[in-house]
Amino acid sequence: MDQKLLDILVCPVSKAPVELNRETNELICRTSGLAYPIRDDIPVMLESEARTLTAEERLPEKK
Amino acid sequence: MSDKKQDTTHFGYQEVPVDEKVKRVADVFHSVAGKYDLMNDLMSGGIHRLWKRLTIEQSGARAGMQVLDIAGGTGDLTRKFSRLVGPSGKVVLADINDSMLKVGRDKLINAGAAGNIEYVQANAECLPFADNTFDIITIAFGLRNVTDKDAALRSMQRVLKPGGKLMVLEFSKTDNPLLTKAYDFYSFNILPQMGKLIADDAESYRYLAESIRMHPDQETLKQMMNDAGFVGCRYQNMTGGVVALHTGIKP
Repeated sequence: MDQKLLDILVCPVSKAPVELNRETNELICRTSGLAYPIRDDIPVMLESEARTLTAEERLPEKK
Repeated sequence: MSDKKQDTTHFGYQEVPVDEKVKRVADVFHSVAGKYDLMNDLMSGGIHRLWKRLTIEQSGARAGMQVLDIAGGTGDLTRKFSRLVGPSGKVVLADINDSMLKVGRDKLINAGAAGNIEYVQANAECLPFADNTFDIITIAFGLRNVTDKDAALRSMQRVLKPGGKLMVLEFSKTDNPLLTKAYDFYSFNILPQMGKLIADDAESYRYLAESIRMHPDQETLKQMMNDAGFVGCRYQNMTGGVVALHTGIKP
């Protein structure tokens, strides 16, 4: 996914920046706790299509 | 404004629950996506190309700009913007409907437009972009299908840069009674027949004609843009008001 696009994408619910999870191929917002799928290389930034993150997933990334 | 809204909205001339409108509009566009360009040419006699060209000419797009084409469908405006903003600029084609986005992407790739175009599936009412991102936003023949138009206009205002321009190209109200009569006959008699013959889908094209009649007229839309925080709002009728181009600036 293009970095310049990632730079301007935000969660449509919280308006916070999203981060790319390469493993699940999702765009993640820890503020709203939602994960947006990327289908056919197109980010699907719809609340209705988003998955709710688990409590563990919502924790900040560990080193 | 945020009071628990009336639970129904219009889908063409029918009253339907708000949630259902989203689904029904989606069905219309899943159904017409493959034949969308052909139908546009046939229904408008090719004039839609002229309307879009006038929009581009008035956009002031130039190299390096960031453009958002909302409800960009099959990418007519995106392709022209892509050329104007060049490799240092960017065009984001956003649509709520994945069928339309995919048809648009295939078409743009076939036309050799690539490199500075990004695709995002998004709802105009809550755009997934950072504040103050775009120099120009266009929504051509899309606002009519949005359930909460005021929310959409506020969302566009948020993601525009200060000084950035919103351009709304949409069917509007004709002012000449004779033209209105001919246009109504065309819309409610000929158009659904064409939809039936060519796309085997009279219902979708009946929705099109009805949704055009339900859309706010020129002055109402201009006021809605003012209310959403745009300044210098004005409009220009094309083809006797069949279509109007509204523009407004984010202060």
